[in-house]
Amino acid sequence: MYRLHTAIASAVIANCLLASPAAFASDDNLVSNKPLELDIHFHQKKFVYNNDWLVEKEAAKLTNLSLNNVASMATTNSEEAFNLMIASGNLPDIVGGEMLKENVNRYGPEGAFVPLNDLIAEHAPHIKALFDERPNVYNSIKAHDGNVYYIPYIPDGKYGRAYFIRYDWLNKLGLETPQNVDELYQVLTAFRNNDPNGNGKKDEVPFFTRHWEELIRLVTLWDGRSSGSDKYHDFYVEDGILAHGYVGDNYREGIKNLAKWYEEGLIDAEVFTRGSRSREYLLANDLGGMTHDWFASTSGYNDALADKMPDFLFKAFAPPASPSGKRVEEHRRSQVKNSGWAISYSNENVVETIKYFDFWFSEEGRRLANFGVEGVHYDMIDGKPIFKDTVLNSDTPVTSQMWAIGAQVQRGFQQDYANEEQWSNKFALDGIALYDQGDYLLEPFLGVSMNTEEKGVYDKHWITIRDYMLEMQQAWILGARDIDEDWDTYQDQLKRMGYPKVIKAMQSAYDRAYK
Amino acid sequence: MENEQSYQVINESPRSKKLTWLIHHFQREWRLYIMLAPTLIWFILFLYKPMYGLQIAFKDYSVFKGITDSPWIGLEHFYTLFENDQFIRAIKNTVIISGASLLFGFPVPIILALMFNEIINPKFKKTAQTIVYLPHFISAVIIAGIVITAFAPSTGVVNLLLNALGYDSVYFLTKPEWFRTIFVGTGIWQEAGFNSIVFLASIAGVNPSLYESAVVDGASRWQMMWKITLPCIMPTILIMLIIRIGNILEVGFEMIIMLYQPATYATSDVISTFIYRQGLQAAQYDLAAAAGLFNAVIAFVLVIAANTISKKVSRTSLW
Repeated sequence: MYRLHTAIASAVIANCLLASPAAFASDDNLVSNKPLELDIHFHQKKFVYNNDWLVEKEAAKLTNLSLNNVASMATTNSEEAFNLMIASGNLPDIVGGEMLKENVNRYGPEGAFVPLNDLIAEHAPHIKALFDERPNVYNSIKAHDGNVYYIPYIPDGKYGRAYFIRYDWLNKLGLETPQNVDELYQVLTAFRNNDPNGNGKKDEVPFFTRHWEELIRLVTLWDGRSSGSDKYHDFYVEDGILAHGYVGDNYREGIKNLAKWYEEGLIDAEVFTRGSRSREYLLANDLGGMTHDWFASTSGYNDALADKMPDFLFKAFAPPASPSGKRVEEHRRSQVKNSGWAISYSNENVVETIKYFDFWFSEEGRRLANFGVEGVHYDMIDGKPIFKDTVLNSDTPVTSQMWAIGAQVQRGFQQDYANEEQWSNKFALDGIALYDQGDYLLEPFLGVSMNTEEKGVYDKHWITIRDYMLEMQQAWILGARDIDEDWDTYQDQLKRMGYPKVIKAMQSAYDRAYK
Repeated sequence: MENEQSYQVINESPRSKKLTWLIHHFQREWRLYIMLAPTLIWFILFLYKPMYGLQIAFKDYSVFKGITDSPWIGLEHFYTLFENDQFIRAIKNTVIISGASLLFGFPVPIILALMFNEIINPKFKKTAQTIVYLPHFISAVIIAGIVITAFAPSTGVVNLLLNALGYDSVYFLTKPEWFRTIFVGTGIWQEAGFNSIVFLASIAGVNPSLYESAVVDGASRWQMMWKITLPCIMPTILIMLIIRIGNILEVGFEMIIMLYQPATYATSDVISTFIYRQGLQAAQYDLAAAAGLFNAVIAFVLVIAANTISKKVSRTSLW
């Protein structure tokens, strides 16, 4: 109630004292003296921006700017929703949601969106401070004309996936945690042959994964690469040079070994078709031994299965060292997402809008976007926002609760890992500490924006090349073809299909943005 | 008054005579035209109006600039397509998969319909029909799930059966040589029952007196089926065949997308899945439109050809 009064009061005073805005320097959050309502198209897969979200209402109170959603829930495909909107030519003041970057960077230079560079420098001190501190994030969101057209969602926390193994199986068979790829091979073989689940049948699946692409990621155990970003089959960058993992010699070595593992039954025979429920099924039925998956959700099975299998212990272990002695965790959370929001050409309150965007990067705005409303969802304890017990102990996951009130929604904001820490289970936190200690992450590839010419080359060749790479990759692993026999023709074929041209286009886009 | 009018009519030019006739015609038959209207509007809105958009196949299309303002680039998208080995392979796969579904899938509903017709016990007939219709009403996602589970290498029914017979398990869904068989087989299993309805209806329309006289002449059931039923439903069969040939390049791509793997692209990648990966996932709508246009032109030629042949051979035709 008190907050509401101050907000109304300040709005009233603001209206009276238009002449001296400097007097309100203390009330940074106000972006407009008069209440302002802007239209927004905001589509994020399963929901659209909701005018009734508690977080939205709170933000409207603090900033005097409220948003009115015009995006339709008719589709769950955000890109489709975006295309429909832009094809209509009728752009609302703000456009936001998922899958934004490629589109705003394509249509921004054509005039659909307002370049934000100068606006940020003049009116958005918090966003500017963040970009100054993290130039790579700034470089990665630029369009090919050098302008920035959207304010991104910036996730926090470094770690995503990790290697998990059944510690109770290791104990039962008297094995140590594998420290390198040879030991891993022996452990998986033992899982296969020595009946760790004790049912007398040889039904164990030593390595399994929900996404078969994670199997390909195991080539990092032989110093290969599978992707440089959090997208599968993406390019990677090393010392400023772009390349693709699926052309390297280490990749060849890795696939050769994975084919051997597959043939020996160390890898789930159904790895390509078992699909998203394989983790649940294989763990709950005491069949799966090892995987590479997300910290939080995978650790959760220790709690979920505790009643059924008292000994069950599925913990993260450090990446096994490659033959050359390197320990690598290729997957990491993206430092910047292609979601966020942008200002369209039809917006008549550009300055107010950028100030509003900046609000979400202020301390108060960021807290609101991460934790919800103070006193309702969290309390300030020792200067830190701490979720209330009612939030933490609810049957609904915290993320779902946050989405329901409009927090953690992928508007342009900076996530605060402190929120996730409060609801992560202890196995996940232990695992993250272990990975933090080892420093296994690689340089991330944050993406490039190509100009028309580069995009022409990329569009013409890349999908075809990628499909060919994947086709061969699966054939090699399944043993339908032999990688050593195919390797030279494979390389020739890639050249013929235009791989060098694609890499050249990507590199020139990369150099323009980051150098 | 009346005389005056008829006098005028006589003196009118042939054109305005036609007009009067038209007005008169509409006054009398407007109910029929209202009944026709929804179909006409549907055709115009959903089939003719989108044809305007086909021009993006010849343009460097930008969604924001719109169809009219995007620049023309001639046949470039078609060159891109035909330089691509994967597109050529997709055409080949499409023809083979549709050809196989036509060859093996087309006769099955006719045979089914003839068999249903021979069932005497009405209860058994109803039950059998319902059972074969049922798969048609299951969504493609679930069918794909059933297929994946049934052909799974470790616990799938098919492989358990193979193991019991002493064979090794086969990871069917990653084997290019198995993909067509599985896909065509699934399609027949799912649609044969439902497609038999039209033939059953046609059989029901056969004049019963033909059978009566055949019985008097001492014909067997087999002879009646062969000499009466089949020839009588031949026009229906031919019409259905022409329609099927028109759709020969349209392979149901949802099912393929759910069943295929990069490992089976060699036999499973068809034009529509190729368009999906190249055009929609990579947002190259202009290229996708070019591939779609090519598809439509071939289908058009095939329908015309099938219709002409049918007209010549049996005097049955769509138009």
